[in-house]
Amino acid sequence: MPKLIKNGEIVDNTFVWQQDVDASASDTTIVPMQKWLDNQDSIGNVAGIWIDAGEGVEPLAGLDLSQFEVIGINFPSFMDGRGFSYARLLRERLNYTGEIRALGGFMADQQGYLIRCGFNSFEFAEDVNLDIALTLNKPFNVAYQGDVADPRPIFLRRG
Amino acid sequence: MLDLTHLRIYITTVQSFMYQYDAIDQQLVEERVAQFRDQTRRYLNNELKEEEFLPLRLQNGLYIQRYAPMLRIAIPYGMVSSKQLRLLADITRRYDRGYGHFSTRQNLQLNWPKLEDVPDILEELATVEMHAVQTSGNCIRNTTTDQYSGVIADEVADPRPYCELIRQWSTFHPEFAFLPRKFKIAVCATESADRAAVQVHDIGLQLKKNDAGEVGFKVLVGGGLGRTPMIAETISDFIPRTDLLTYLDAIIRVYNQHGRRDNKYKARIKILVKALGIDEFRKRVDAEWEHLRGTESTVPMSEFDRLASFFTEPAYEALEDQPSVLAEKLADSNAFARWYERNTFDHKKSGYRIVTLSLKKPGQAPGDATADQMEKAANLADQYSFGELRVSHEQNLVLADVRQEQLIELWEAAKENGFATPTLGLLTDMICCPGGDYCGLANAKSIPIADQIQETFDNLDYLYDIGEVDLNISGCMNACGHHHVGNIGILGVDKKGAEFYQVSLGGASGHDASIGKILGPSFAQEEVGGVIQKVINVYVDNRTEEERFIDTFRRIGIKPFKEAAYAKAN
Repeated sequence: MPKLIKNGEIVDNTFVWQQDVDASASDTTIVPMQKWLDNQDSIGNVAGIWIDAGEGVEPLAGLDLSQFEVIGINFPSFMDGRGFSYARLLRERLNYTGEIRALGGFMADQQGYLIRCGFNSFEFAEDVNLDIALTLNKPFNVAYQGDVADPRPIFLRRG
Repeated sequence: MLDLTHLRIYITTVQSFMYQYDAIDQQLVEERVAQFRDQTRRYLNNELKEEEFLPLRLQNGLYIQRYAPMLRIAIPYGMVSSKQLRLLADITRRYDRGYGHFSTRQNLQLNWPKLEDVPDILEELATVEMHAVQTSGNCIRNTTTDQYSGVIADEVADPRPYCELIRQWSTFHPEFAFLPRKFKIAVCATESADRAAVQVHDIGLQLKKNDAGEVGFKVLVGGGLGRTPMIAETISDFIPRTDLLTYLDAIIRVYNQHGRRDNKYKARIKILVKALGIDEFRKRVDAEWEHLRGTESTVPMSEFDRLASFFTEPAYEALEDQPSVLAEKLADSNAFARWYERNTFDHKKSGYRIVTLSLKKPGQAPGDATADQMEKAANLADQYSFGELRVSHEQNLVLADVRQEQLIELWEAAKENGFATPTLGLLTDMICCPGGDYCGLANAKSIPIADQIQETFDNLDYLYDIGEVDLNISGCMNACGHHHVGNIGILGVDKKGAEFYQVSLGGASGHDASIGKILGPSFAQEEVGGVIQKVINVYVDNRTEEERFIDTFRRIGIKPFKEAAYAKAN
């Protein structure tokens, strides 16, 4: 079974990231957000949805997100930082508490920032060594800004 | 008798009037060094691909340039201590070729470091509370401000505590490290002049007080140079200082999500602001801010007090303005009087003066300083200005707190070390990028053009007669030399493989900012000095007594300049 990093551990990836809109959905698939929105009455149970860069999280406002075990956010490339804002908005504005999974072209060296924005799982490309990637997930032990884990900026935390 | 000079040097080395790291700040830069050392190691071991290492090294100020890497070291809002400057000098000697280039954004660039040495350089920088964090890449860059901050009479408040607040907020901001494009913030605290060029930054902050006397900012957004130069628009007339960070978060969150990413030349925030229109952009920012305002990132007064406590006044003495020794020298020495008039500036305390050490010596690339000069400047700072210096947007060094009675000996020392070129604000006080001699992006060389202009206008009497003119040179349309906002702008262009130069007139970067108009077809390198001469002649022939170059240009328009520049010889 393919692996991924979740909550700081290498674990089996039990879900399938479904990129093809026409593929059939099941309770182990992560389906495109728009597909789910268009077919939510008929699609049945899914593991979760994924948001593509450019879609934003606004379409999810007002929905019960607790029905999703996972919400994926796709990075078309590691230079495309829109997903950082999406994750924060999911956590801080839409109060989503389930798994937020990084998908696509993000980099292991971005994990520190991704985690601070609310991601807790990382589905890397196949050629990435997960043991090495795991060592890169916390480059800094202090931070100036508040984040998803601790909203207090440094000026509320300095002794 | 007790030697008071030495006593003062001792005091300045133990006291500081700029921000000091605490354990948290220090830990962060040290962890950054370790992170970058590992990234560099993995890259050199082929564990990181070229394209993956690229954004990582850029976020640490490291470009791969035409001949070697270029490392841009951050000098936050231009403040540097003598101790830091000495280490910088030493680093240029040991890791580079013994000189560095001060940039328009108050940073220092090294042109010849070895990639594998960069982690060691950063480790040394961390020992004096310095770094190269976010000096390039698509992230929030070094925040810049007025080089006269804290020592001029007419500022609303000292902008440096706010710059430090922004520095900390922007450093390793988890959400905004991969923006559509680079992002630059500048802060100005005076109404009388804008030495920080806030109208041509992604965000410009004008420090002000509202009618109730509360401190806050007028916020400008969407200014910038590059291929599509634009003057910023006002997004808010007043944001209270406590709300500054949440408001900045709101602006950049809108930009991060909606700025264009399909074309790097259309990716700056100015393009988004222009496309949406300022009203729609403001609406979106306000909608975002609704959620952020009042959250934990609201800055408490205690934090402003803490930050302000670092930028205290040194122990100024009660001194009289224009001591007799100064008045006599001004009357006796025309050369000294010129230097005093051009290169020194009014200080808020009587008996003191702000002194600019010019880095515009003819024959030296504008903004360049040798290791010896850096050390000498550090010594002068210890001796005459409480051990601190500032880097200016115009690429000079500033001693902010000089006793007027010591100006004569400082002038002598400045002359000895190539710092006394008395041309601040004049035609030859050029802003100039490193250009094609160093930079891989450049279409053309810029330093030989600066040399040519220095040679064409080498007569000081004539330069003084011409008066204040900003002349800015960029080697390509990325506009690092800010040519768009030079009263005279020179842009290097590639014309079928040959280096040509386009001239524009009428730009300005202050509170009356404007983008220059292109004069006409570009010129060959050897023609540029002559063309600038013709442009100046038109000004001299047409000016009224009190008009600066920019005033005459605005009154008579570009046509007479165009006719003169392109007139066929009879």
